[in-house]
Amino acid sequence: MNGMTSRVELPSGTRRRESAPLGRVIRAELGWVLRRPRNLLALLGLTALPVLIGTVIALTGTPAAGSGPRLLSAMAGNGLVLPVFSLMMTQNLLLPLVTAMVAADALAGESASGTLRGLLLAPVGRVRLVAVKAVGVLTVVVLAVGLIALSGALTGLVVVGGDGFVTLSGTTLSLGPALGRVALAAGWCAVQMAAVGAVALAVSAMTDHPLVVMAVAVGGLIVFGVLEALPALEWLKPVFLTADWYSIGDVLSDPIRSEDLLTGLWRAGCYVLVGMSAATALMATKDT
Amino acid sequence: MSGSTGTAEAGASAPASGPEREPALRTSSLRKTYGRTVAVSDVDLSVPRGAVLGVLGPNGSGKTTTIRMLLGLTEPSSGSVELLGHRIPEHTGRALPLVGALVEGPGFHPFLSGRRNLARCAAMEPALFGADTGTAVGQALERVGLAEAADRKYRSYSLGMKQRLGLAAALLVPRELVVLDEPTNGLDPAGTREIRRIVAELHAGGTTVLVSSHLLSEVEATCTHAAVLQHGSLIAQGELNSLLESGGPHLLVSVADREAGLEALRDSGVPARAENGALRVELSDRDAPEVIAGLVRAGVDVYEARRERAGLEEIFARLTEEES
Repeated sequence: MNGMTSRVELPSGTRRRESAPLGRVIRAELGWVLRRPRNLLALLGLTALPVLIGTVIALTGTPAAGSGPRLLSAMAGNGLVLPVFSLMMTQNLLLPLVTAMVAADALAGESASGTLRGLLLAPVGRVRLVAVKAVGVLTVVVLAVGLIALSGALTGLVVVGGDGFVTLSGTTLSLGPALGRVALAAGWCAVQMAAVGAVALAVSAMTDHPLVVMAVAVGGLIVFGVLEALPALEWLKPVFLTADWYSIGDVLSDPIRSEDLLTGLWRAGCYVLVGMSAATALMATKDT
Repeated sequence: MSGSTGTAEAGASAPASGPEREPALRTSSLRKTYGRTVAVSDVDLSVPRGAVLGVLGPNGSGKTTTIRMLLGLTEPSSGSVELLGHRIPEHTGRALPLVGALVEGPGFHPFLSGRRNLARCAAMEPALFGADTGTAVGQALERVGLAEAADRKYRSYSLGMKQRLGLAAALLVPRELVVLDEPTNGLDPAGTREIRRIVAELHAGGTTVLVSSHLLSEVEATCTHAAVLQHGSLIAQGELNSLLESGGPHLLVSVADREAGLEALRDSGVPARAENGALRVELSDRDAPEVIAGLVRAGVDVYEARRERAGLEEIFARLTEEES
């Protein structure tokens, strides 16, 4: 009597491997992130914002010096300011909101819709999954920041004109270096948002409710803002992620005032490190 | 292989002579607690290769928690799992590519079409290479009868279609083990038959299948083995046939003279009673041929003898009652 059971024959030539190629997994992840209607709408909205600001300014003129934000009054006759001003405005709330939204979908959302199970069963290793999700969030951050800078720069050029950009220090830059400054501001802003994204991803690994992630991220930034305003907590300032966010305007000085920018960069780096470590640790034991 | 010389006809349930291979799945003292709640305790489950195991149990008996531990989705509080010879959760990467699973209902993204959802799953499958992913997706959709609706958004799917897509994801690649947690949830009778057909196909192809269900008829119709869970404990497991045999088999005998028959049986100490114009004989310590021979010897004419066994439902009721 031969055995009733026979081994399943996998197609000949099938090699065994423990995980799908990383490139393919990342492509699939990006395809998923960038097909999501709300992500696309968010990117569209952020792109439209500099155009809106530029149009309003072109129609109404800038406020007189001293009566509005410094950068806003500096915008007169200076297209270079618009993209940086747009980044600064969106950096406070809109960009963190979009970043947190994508990070919330990344793990908590997948968990809520039962799709995280599928990924782990494929299997995509848990550590690898966090890395892939981080790439997804970072991609949206870079796209969002890049689109704001690009549409801001284009709008600025159209509204104000393209020759000779006056820096905040009064010197004049040609187009190339001026765009370099915009790129610098965008890069700096992207790092700050990566910090928000890393912490949001950690929260996302902790909960099954995407809303919790949004609430923690945005609530956290608001709390930072409030605490920063308290003179008694001056000594705590180095740990507030938002402490140097206004220094993004420093890219427009000549030469660049790099001190606060660098501090902000280091601080964001620490947040990324802590956030990603926490996300990985939490994901390793997450019940799905 | 010194075969016994027993009559082949009498042994309706041949003993399993499975190959000396490790079982497809083995757990020992598996336990899961959530705080002070014990969800699963001391489960020692063993599933031979090629078996179709039905995991039975009322809602909340620990079926899904057990399955989640088997697949490395949640870590056991204590005990161990060996899946296709690999320790779980340490070596999920080695075992899971050979395992297809549909756990706790289908999980997909509503804003993507069925095909795109499945393509995303395919991209994550280690066992799919390059260009095969597209083909595999198409075939899986075909197999579960979703080819027509493949390009509709998942949000427009009916419950049954969603369930089918979940099944398609589990069947994307040829598997050694397929785990289906309540696969017929939300399916109409036709869909249920379809699931049975697919399970039978998998079984014929040598795939080990684990189906959890609270529907007993489901398990009875499709499984070779069964495991019964109650309050998180495994209260019975084994081949379906022997489980059914253990449920007090009996013989229905139609005879010319019922009174004479009953008397003859009573004399030889065989419990029996008249039922629907026939004799119902308990086969607790006698074989069917013995009973019939005894009747004939006593001069009772036997027209027909039919062996009957308890349904799974009866056995299940008995097991769960004993336990509580």
